[in-house]
Amino acid sequence: MKLHSPLITPRRWPDMSRRLLRWLDQYLVMVSLLVIILTFTLAAENFLSYGTLSAILNQLPALTLVTVGMTFVLICGGIDLSVGSVLALSAAVIGVTVAAGFSIPVAALAGVATGAVAGLVNGLLGSYLRLPVFIVTLGMLEAARGFAYLITDSQTVYIGSAIQGLVQPIPWLALTPAFLCALVVVAVAHFVLTATVFGRHIIAVGTNPEAARMSGIDPKLTLLIVLCISGVLAGLAGLMNSAYLGSTDPNAGLGLELAAIAAAVIGGTSLMGGRGSIFSAFIGVLIIAVLQNGLAQIGVSEPFKRVVTGVVIVLAVVLDRWRADRVP
Amino acid sequence: MRLQIRNLRKHYAAPVLRGLNLHLDAGAIHAIVGENGAGKTTLLKILSGLTPADSGTVVLDGAPWAAKNPKAAQRAGLSLCSQELSLIDNLSVAENIGLRALPGRLRLDRATLHRRCRELLDRFQLDLAPDQLVGTLNLAERQMVELAKTLNSEARLLLLDEPTSALNDQQARALHAMLQKRANNGVSILYVSHRLNDVLQLCDHVWVLRDGKVVHNAPSEQLTVAEVIRHMSGKEKLAQPAIAAQRHGSVHLSVRNLLTRNMRQPVSLDCHRGEIFGLAGLMGAGRTELLEAIYGLVAHTSGRVELLHADKRIGLTGVNDAVKHGVGMVPESRASQGIFRGLSVAFNATIAQLGRVASRHLLSRRREATAVDALIRRLNVKCEGGDQSIEALSGGNQQKVILARWLHRECSLLLLDEPTRGVDVGAKFAIHDLLRALRDQGVCIVVASSELQELLALCDRIAVMSAGRMISTFERDSFDQEKILEAAFSAHNTTQMA
Repeated sequence: MKLHSPLITPRRWPDMSRRLLRWLDQYLVMVSLLVIILTFTLAAENFLSYGTLSAILNQLPALTLVTVGMTFVLICGGIDLSVGSVLALSAAVIGVTVAAGFSIPVAALAGVATGAVAGLVNGLLGSYLRLPVFIVTLGMLEAARGFAYLITDSQTVYIGSAIQGLVQPIPWLALTPAFLCALVVVAVAHFVLTATVFGRHIIAVGTNPEAARMSGIDPKLTLLIVLCISGVLAGLAGLMNSAYLGSTDPNAGLGLELAAIAAAVIGGTSLMGGRGSIFSAFIGVLIIAVLQNGLAQIGVSEPFKRVVTGVVIVLAVVLDRWRADRVP
Repeated sequence: MRLQIRNLRKHYAAPVLRGLNLHLDAGAIHAIVGENGAGKTTLLKILSGLTPADSGTVVLDGAPWAAKNPKAAQRAGLSLCSQELSLIDNLSVAENIGLRALPGRLRLDRATLHRRCRELLDRFQLDLAPDQLVGTLNLAERQMVELAKTLNSEARLLLLDEPTSALNDQQARALHAMLQKRANNGVSILYVSHRLNDVLQLCDHVWVLRDGKVVHNAPSEQLTVAEVIRHMSGKEKLAQPAIAAQRHGSVHLSVRNLLTRNMRQPVSLDCHRGEIFGLAGLMGAGRTELLEAIYGLVAHTSGRVELLHADKRIGLTGVNDAVKHGVGMVPESRASQGIFRGLSVAFNATIAQLGRVASRHLLSRRREATAVDALIRRLNVKCEGGDQSIEALSGGNQQKVILARWLHRECSLLLLDEPTRGVDVGAKFAIHDLLRALRDQGVCIVVASSELQELLALCDRIAVMSAGRMISTFERDSFDQEKILEAAFSAHNTTQMA
């Protein structure tokens, strides 16, 4: 059959349009982001300025990091509801450590380690005691928040300006070290998921844990590692958040888990496990951020902003379903 | 209710019913017996509206009738008690039994429900509280509740599929007494069972099915168990493929007194390099449980599984261990345990041994594509290429991809559970050829199959299991279909006589 194909005159136009469709399909999230940016550029003056965009980007490190972890967990077939609280707990640890006289690098390390421990506890309870991950991380959401209040005495702890170096824009780039760090995490995570053996294992476990087990993959260990990654990234997000505020707020990251799930879902991640992309989830983060800022700039009230965000989340899933039905 | 079936046909991947004729008078109890895959369950499914027939007629009390769905069948007076129990774990015994017509208008009338339930349970000599949750019952109790639910209806034609498979003799006798009473009241009963002694005692007439047709039918008093088995297996000796018994190598898999929580008896066996070892038995004989135990999917409660490599003995304790030491398994349920849905053929084929398409931990697309293309060609998988989604493939080709997974891994021991179930004939022969080729390369292969013909054609040795027990082993030159069937039925019949 292959032998005959050169003899047939290629029908260029349908072929082109199909390729365009497939391209659109592959980059649907990206295209949506561009459409949204374009809309705001037309609707608001000065939206597409260096200042606005870098301001938006520099708000993002914490949400980006948490979303990367969440996307891993979702693809692996779990969910991590504790990320917002773990962020607050890590930030609290950083604040308290600095207040106790330790240097900032030591405090940062302690904060990230706190996230790792929280993730480990989630993982041990969730995979090895076979408790539902939803419930375990819901418990951690409460417990970590409680610890954050306990160790800070429910007070904001001032850290000082030294930590804010992380969020000072690099002069010639207009981007902060924190955002660059988040970008690197996105790139590495994307690479891990798409090009490594471990990434394959995550997808396999999320798609069919039983078949994964039959293929010699340990689903429990895989989920444990993924929950630890999510904890570490939440800890790192705690550091970013402290740097952003210059202090530690035990109320930080309230509801952040939902924003992260929303970003992952907008990026096409399936809550049933097995399907998703780190890069697209990051675009999902950008869509949420651009929407928030753009709507604010054209003078939309806070309640209405939330309505729009809700509609966008549902719309993203509708589009995704439609796409899945059309393209086998 | 009078039932007549004429020329009933049904085709799934292969023909299951090919022109079946059968009739049943009001108030009669007729048995349907046959090997696995003879078409018994399919016949009951068609009658009860779970699946439509391709052609043929069913006549109920003189009027032609076709069940559109289970509800219509129920209204017409048919009631099925199937092998797959249909109980709801989170409801009580009484609620399950009375589910079709719960008493009370708005508020559930518990008193009436429980009273009716207790009457029914008493007749079964079943010591259960009506308000006990079904989820807390054991298998035999569940089967009794399912039967009580079936008998609770006003059905005039009862279809019973293996109703006594989990029951002890006393419970079975209680059931038989109740069935007899129903029959005396004019209810007709079709009774499918492997317990041939029961069948001959209880039923008036026996229909023997083979390959989707009735091959023999006679009143029970004119039959013996041995005769029934002879009819089921077919009188003519099957022409054996001209393959000499393989001279196999040293022992590779050694299983000693292996027991897990879902096995009934400890099992021991030895398999050799370059041997295809078959596991035969009826539905529920424990073949799948044995394979899962060897593979380590279920924790061992006692016994050992060892691989013998040159001079080393490697004890296997869990599935990760097994895969690491070169064991692979093709599971019975392709959809739930085998394939990764929505992912590519390449993903599915390489997942058990990514090391070979990666350096360190980084995947190499190029090496993956080369390896997958080679596998697709070697197994003749019909697909557009490695990137195609596995769901787009036919059942046979999906099965080939799962086999490819273990070829890619280069296993020394392959465990196959129903490797050709739901697979078309062409793919089936291709899979057989592949297994023989692997055998000739020295791989040790264990195949469990419900299809005796498949085992006879494929295996060098066949072990027969019955009710969880290893009964006997047949060498290739002493394969005898009748003796194998007799062994497969043996545990059912001895427990009956005991």
